[in-house]
Amino acid sequence: METSLVKCLTECEKGEIVTVISVNAGYKAKMRLANLGIIPGVKIKKKKSAPLKGPIEIVVKGSSLVIGRGIASKIIVRCKKECEF
Amino acid sequence: MSCHLPKTPKQKSENNYKNSINIALAGNPNVGKSVIFNQLTGLSQTIGNWPGKTVEKMEGFLDFHGYHFNVVDLPGIYSLSTYSIEEIVSREYIVSEDVDLIINVIDATNLERNLFFTFQLLELNVPMILAINQMDLLRKRHIDINFEKLEKIFKLPALPLVAIHGVGVHQLLEEAIEMVVYHHPHLHHGQRINKRSKHHSHEHSHRERVHKKMTSRPYLKYEFQFPDLSNIISFGKEVELKIEEIVDNIRDNQYIRANSYYPLRFLAIKLLENDDEIIKLFLHDGSSSKIIQKANTFRNELEEIHGEDISTIISSEIYNNINKIIQQFLIIKSGKQAKRISIADRIDHLTTHSLFGYVILILVIFGIYIFTFSIGDFLGGILDNWYGFWTEGVYSLIGENSIFVKIFWDGGMGGLIGAIGGVLVYVIPFFLIIEILQDSGYLPRAAFLMDRIMHSIGVHGKTIIPMILGFGCNVPACAGCRIMETEREKKISIVLTSLIPCAATMTVVMGLVGRYLGLGWVVFLFVINFSVILIIGRILNKIMPGECTELIMEMHEYRVPNYSVIAKQTWLRSKEFIFRALPVIVILGIFLEILVIFNALEPVNLILYPISVFWLGLPVATGIFLIYGILRKELTLVLLALFAENLGLTLLELLTPIQMIVFSLVTMLYVPCFATIIIIAKQTNWKYALKISAMEIAIALLIGGIINWGFIFFSSL
Repeated sequence: METSLVKCLTECEKGEIVTVISVNAGYKAKMRLANLGIIPGVKIKKKKSAPLKGPIEIVVKGSSLVIGRGIASKIIVRCKKECEF
Repeated sequence: MSCHLPKTPKQKSENNYKNSINIALAGNPNVGKSVIFNQLTGLSQTIGNWPGKTVEKMEGFLDFHGYHFNVVDLPGIYSLSTYSIEEIVSREYIVSEDVDLIINVIDATNLERNLFFTFQLLELNVPMILAINQMDLLRKRHIDINFEKLEKIFKLPALPLVAIHGVGVHQLLEEAIEMVVYHHPHLHHGQRINKRSKHHSHEHSHRERVHKKMTSRPYLKYEFQFPDLSNIISFGKEVELKIEEIVDNIRDNQYIRANSYYPLRFLAIKLLENDDEIIKLFLHDGSSSKIIQKANTFRNELEEIHGEDISTIISSEIYNNINKIIQQFLIIKSGKQAKRISIADRIDHLTTHSLFGYVILILVIFGIYIFTFSIGDFLGGILDNWYGFWTEGVYSLIGENSIFVKIFWDGGMGGLIGAIGGVLVYVIPFFLIIEILQDSGYLPRAAFLMDRIMHSIGVHGKTIIPMILGFGCNVPACAGCRIMETEREKKISIVLTSLIPCAATMTVVMGLVGRYLGLGWVVFLFVINFSVILIIGRILNKIMPGECTELIMEMHEYRVPNYSVIAKQTWLRSKEFIFRALPVIVILGIFLEILVIFNALEPVNLILYPISVFWLGLPVATGIFLIYGILRKELTLVLLALFAENLGLTLLELLTPIQMIVFSLVTMLYVPCFATIIIIAKQTNWKYALKISAMEIAIALLIGGIINWGFIFFSSL
């Protein structure tokens, strides 16, 4: 029954709540994101993205983080939106 | 505030070092650490650098209950890895002998992430107090913390704080005395306290209170030993077994045990995590490098089993542990949490809006410029009038031609007035703006909006923060580059920031080109200036070793700035500038005056002749004006105007339009002012500061020459 959608964080819509599946960034960036709580299984909410294809603001564990688009595109998430129907 | 206890004379004399307690404040950024630091240490603070590092070290002290507290405010960090220099500096300092106790400041409204850092600190086995700040905000959300439970779980004292209102700040010190005095009895020979010496001659009511507190909380031992927290910090079995095996290996290694202050378990975890700083330590000899190999094998095994990166595995373990305990001490009072859109949210929405956000950003930049300039110009004008008035007095009293007057009044005093009137009056209002922008939370929003654009220069959004500040004054802006995480970003940011036209440079451009040639040419100069920034940014990004990092930044909510913190920070930074930069500028002023007395300036103009006259096409006298401009940039125009006045000419008669453009452009680009160079040297080193200066002179001369010769070439066609 895997109807949920897998995509990268940049493709998510504003306000969407998604679950992190994996982070495919480099060693340092990955470590940083993991330290900040972006680990597989964690729910994050995409708050907004900056104009001109800029960085993305997400809410993770109750606080806002801004992540450059390059890294955000390497964060793979699952959105449950479709399952609700 | 602090209730001093009566001291016996004897105690007083041997007081200072014997009863001193060294505290380090540690925590995530924006948790109120600096507010606590300010309330503890008041005006006793100093800013220095960590030895050999470009990281700022904030220190202060206070006396409380007969103890002398040295407080170090560690940089706000999220982890004890090697992501930034701040993290390395912090963890090395915490385990050093200098620290008696850590106060871990935790934001109650963001417990999970803050506790992640706490869990890392726990691995360092240093006595620690948990200071849970912003309890008022948490309670507003109808959530509370059971502190008794919290202390039982961590086996460490925990205190509720509302630091902005001073609630709980001094209890931290009482708790600190309690912990440290029992932990390090040897520090206090004269008044060693243990169970039996309860009625020691130095016994005070305070100690009795402490004692009562201690007996009511038996888990705090008299002889403080770091509590065994394995029940909360242990990882999953397969990870834990590997850590234990590495620990056993390290335990047998004499070299590591003699050369590292870190607890063995911490070393083992870091080896597993492939931490390059710790690995360096183990590369010493064969037996210790064998441990690295073992850790590598273990890491590979774990990554295979979990299908994840080691950093993800360890971080997940820690977050799991946090989730396990957090429910035990959180009290959620009502299920309903009113979700209102606050004013802070609205401001956030507006300042990150895809249209209004940029409008506001431009307004902020203009605001900085206008504010800095109008206050600086006003105060500078008053000071110049005052100096002119006294100069006449001094001349008529001692004589204009006396060497003494020339050196000390024209040179020394003139330099001092120049530094105060030309730099300090701009710097102080400017520090004030920076602190307000920083404390309110605006600057990360600017980074958010500009990240994409900054990528075209080869840096990420955060660099815009010092660059915005640069429009006011390069001096604090370059100092502001310390917010960049890596050395590489810091160095690139410093170069780019020093190329931003500051308020003083703008006076030259506006006063010459803007006034005589029109705003169109001002825009032309700006386009050149920003193209230079763009090109330099890209080149530096290519040639500097290391990789380009991407933006990962916390964006905390807007808040009303804390005026006391802002005032103290502004004063602290101004004070630092006064003591570091002013003396150098005065000495330089004296030096220049000596050159004038010995007529050494004419030769200087002659030496500069090929550059100033031939290459740039400027009048011969301008060479020395440009030299003076290093002292304060608007001097180039001031001196030029004086020169023209002496000749009975207007500037329009003295300079051709093309000379005006070249002159302004060179002033904009040619070298950071002296105060900026000093700050750059302080942030990095003198070699780098001089390198930047040399590079910028070369660029200014190159472009100035191209414009001059280009014009000659095209007009001859």
